[in-house]
Order: sequence, then C-alpha cells, then structure tokens
Amino acid sequence: MPTDTKRVRGPDVSQSPFLFWSRPAEVLPSHEPRADGRQRDQVDVRPVFVRCGLVSQAKGSAYIEAGNTKVLCCVYGPRETERKDETDMKSGRLTTDMRFAPFSCPERGSWIQGSQDKDFSLMLQESLQPAVCLHRYPRSQIEVNVMVLENSGSILAHAVTCASMALADAGIEMYDLVLGCSLRQDGGSYVVDPTYPEENSWRSGSREKRGGLTVAFLPSLNQVSGLQSDGEMAEETLTAGIRTCIEGCYKLYPVIQQALIKAVRRAAPPAAES
Amino acid sequence: MATVQVSEAEKVYILHGIRDDLRVDGRSCEDYRHMEVETDVVSNTDGSAKVTLGHTAVLVGVKAEIGKPKPMIPNEGYLEFFVDCSANATPEFEGRGGEELGTELSNTLYKVFNNQHSLDLRSLCISPGEHCWVLYVDVLLLQCDGNLYDAISVAIKAALFNTKIPRVHISSDDGGGKEIELSDDPYDRMRLDVENVPCIVTLCKIGHRQVVDATLQEKACSVASLIISVTHKGIITCTRKVGRGSLDPESICEMTEAGKRVGKALHSPLMKLLQQEESLGKKRQKVGFLG
Repeated sequence: MPTDTKRVRGPDVSQSPFLFWSRPAEVLPSHEPRADGRQRDQVDVRPVFVRCGLVSQAKGSAYIEAGNTKVLCCVYGPRETERKDETDMKSGRLTTDMRFAPFSCPERGSWIQGSQDKDFSLMLQESLQPAVCLHRYPRSQIEVNVMVLENSGSILAHAVTCASMALADAGIEMYDLVLGCSLRQDGGSYVVDPTYPEENSWRSGSREKRGGLTVAFLPSLNQVSGLQSDGEMAEETLTAGIRTCIEGCYKLYPVIQQALIKAVRRAAPPAAES
Repeated sequence: MATVQVSEAEKVYILHGIRDDLRVDGRSCEDYRHMEVETDVVSNTDGSAKVTLGHTAVLVGVKAEIGKPKPMIPNEGYLEFFVDCSANATPEFEGRGGEELGTELSNTLYKVFNNQHSLDLRSLCISPGEHCWVLYVDVLLLQCDGNLYDAISVAIKAALFNTKIPRVHISSDDGGGKEIELSDDPYDRMRLDVENVPCIVTLCKIGHRQVVDATLQEKACSVASLIISVTHKGIITCTRKVGRGSLDPESICEMTEAGKRVGKALHSPLMKLLQQEESLGKKRQKVGFLG
C-alpha cells in the first residue's frame, strides 16, 4: 500500500491522557467509609441485578449488574465436540471464553484476546467445572461465553456467578450453583466486593500487606470450587478472607435463586386454574 | 501435561499409602524429591539456573534489557515472564500444544510477583519515566515429571540470585540530552536482592490428606490441588486452586497452613546452597546437563 509521506502520522503507541493525570496521593484512606457509602470490614456486597434469558439465540443466557460492573454470559451446547483427539470421551468438555469489551476498562483494551483474558477464561473454567455434571454429556462440549461490558471491579467473581446462572438457564445438569465473591485486603482492614478504583489503589501508597482474593463457592455442597489470590497476605488473613468471601456468597444466594425461579416461571407459566 | 495411565488398583494402592503417610517412593507427605540446583549454566544470559526435581528439569535464563518504564509506574523497572514448553518434554507440546500450559504458568508467575516486596523494582530504574531495566525471565521446560510450579519457582529464585546487571550512568551532554554510559569495568555489576522472592508449593489433595511434590502418578489420583507461593517470612503472595475438582473450606485452611510450613522451610537451605556455590568462584566444576 502506498503511504502518504507528506502526512504527519500520529505515534504508533498512544496512551490515555488520564494516565498522566496527577491524582491525590492517597485515594482511599483506610479508616473512612468507602466512596459508595458501603462499610469497611463488613460483608457489604453491592446490590445485584440479575436476569436470565436475554439472548434468544443462545441455549441459556444471563446478565448481571453490580454497581457499574456489567457482565453478559451466553451458553451454547451441548453439541458434538470439535476436537476428535480427546482420549477420554466418557465425559463432556466445558469450554470457557471470557472477553472484555475494549471500552470496558478505563484504559482501552484490544479486541484480540490477551494473556490476561486467557487467564480469566481458565479461572472461570476451573471454577465452573466442579459444578457441572459433565459425565452426563459424553462426546459433547458445552460452550460458555462471557462478555464484560463494563468493568467496575470484582469482575471474575461476577463472571462466575453470571456463567453459572446461564448454565442453569440452559438446562445443563449441575450439582449446584456457583457463586463468586471478591475481597480486597488493605493492611488490617478489608473491603468486600471492591470497585475498580478500590482494586487498583494499592500502587499509590506504600503500606504493606495488600492483596486481592476471589472465591468461587458451591453454597449447598459447601465446597470451594475456585480460589485465587495475589498481593501479600499472612496465612491467618487469607483464611479469614476466604470465610468472609463465603459469607458474601451466601448473601448473593437468595437473589440468584429468585432470578432463576422467575426465569423458569416465564418460560413455562403455571397452568391457569380453571 | 504429560499424561500417565493409572489403573484403579494402582490408585487404591497410592491412596492407602498416603493415608498411612508413606508414598510409593518412600517419602512422607511433606517431603520433596531429590532436588539439584546449578546456577550460571548459560553464558549468554545475565543470570541462569537449572533445577532438577525428580525427573522434572527446568532451565531459566534471565536477560536484562533497557526499556521504557510503564506510564503508571515511572520509577520502577519490571519483569517479563515467558514459559516455553519444549517438545522435548513430551510430544504433546509439539507445535502449539504447549501454549496453553505455558500461558497458565506465566500468568501465575506474574501474580506471584505482583507485590511490592518480592523484588525491589525501584532498583531497576535508570532514569524515571525514560529508561529502566526490563528483566526477561524465560523458563524452558526440559522434562516433565510433575510439580512444575515448584521447580520453576526455585529455578527463578536461583536465576535471579545469579543475575548480574551492568552498572550504567546517566550523563547529560551539552544539548541537554541524556546519554546512557555503560561502566567500563566488566565486573562492576549490580546484584538483585532475592531474599523476599517467594517459592511456590503445590499441594495435591489425595484422599483426606495433602501431599507436597506429587509425581505424575500421584497427580492422576487427585482432583484438585492448591498452589501457594510463600516468602521466607511466611507471607503468602499468591494462591490458586487448579484442577477439575473442588475443595472443602476446612481443607483449604489445612493446606495453606501446610504450604506455609513447607514453603518457609524451603528458603533457608536454598539460599545457603546458592551462597555456597557462589563462594566456590571459578574453582567450581560445572556439571551442566550431563549430571
């Protein structure tokens, strides 16, 4: 392709001007209440809005909104498996694909799946797999596609919850629902279901012992199906954090159950009494 | 991952052995296999190490290059991890077969080092906002026999210990521009403080117990394992559940406790060994890949 040499071209790499914005040194003091009015050191999750069956083409779908975090999930299948070289054909395969819309984060992402997205996909797969009765679907695969429309923190936790709802909506046999909850440890105090600024504030100060934790939990079996943490945490804080996250999952449970019941009612309305 | 076929009878045998704290190769539940560490094995790198753990063999090379700091953190250098699963290890890795495992491993390594104390990244800064050292940590899997995470983390710690970065000076010329000057003395090199670099401990849940450093046969008997990276002070920098099963909250607590205990105990012998090897200087007989 001939290039116009007279034209002044922009730089190859561009950055968002907000990155260079001088922010106040300490964004979130650890003793004051949180920016959205929730309490620290308490299992104070954001109220969620959930709805099943929004995408008519998919076998099952779900949408979850918590604060500004918006996640959409579609489930396709079970269909015949693509890969024929799988040695173990006795049980089905669960494939997950988690993608971020380029405009979902403060910095623009790309449409191509990066290594971070692949990591999220893997984490999602490992969290969901224990709950799905894959042995009931031999020689077939179930596809879970998660699209993050807006990332406002605790994205993996909400993606897990959303995906398990979509699986239930698709009528896939499962042992239990999978619920996700995140926590941000900040020295001695913690915040449950952190927002994006709360998740990314740890670079601004230099205090020790900061970390993040995400737990995926099967509420009626009392099993942890996914666990992931980073940052610095003492062993006691970590185990206490896991318990707090489990508590957070239990808070979410009735809401998800109600949404599923509503979806079933809508799909098959009870026979009118005559 | 290299797969092994384990029959039901073998599984029961392994399971019963672990219940009685005696594994197939005679170890108890919290024992590692024989581990060999050798540093400075590849001369073209700034730091390298080779670790063999049982039959698992990992080679790590660290190369330092001058790059531009990330705009969010102008006064720090950064690390880049890349894990290559060589087709030597198992034929399944041929072509793009090992890519999935490679990204999984490297993403976990980013998480393990995602804190402010593992490595002093400020020391890698040359001039804030303009130049910094970028450490490319390349991991090569030569043989797979289970427990890749632990072997890789030990190899990375040893390679970082071995890393020597040339000293550079910033001088400004008449025009006000800055110039980077490399020190003339080839021995004038910077070392990294690796004391806080964590080691990863993988705990496999088999039956009602957890085992450290599982072989491939043992791994085939377990449905879920927990990865814990621990510093010498016992601070946990990363945890992660891997595998297709789920874990009880109680057993997670037990596993983190065991992981912390094992991980803490791993650091001081390793550091002692590395310092011992260093003190031998040029007299050291290099074993290389024939050992």
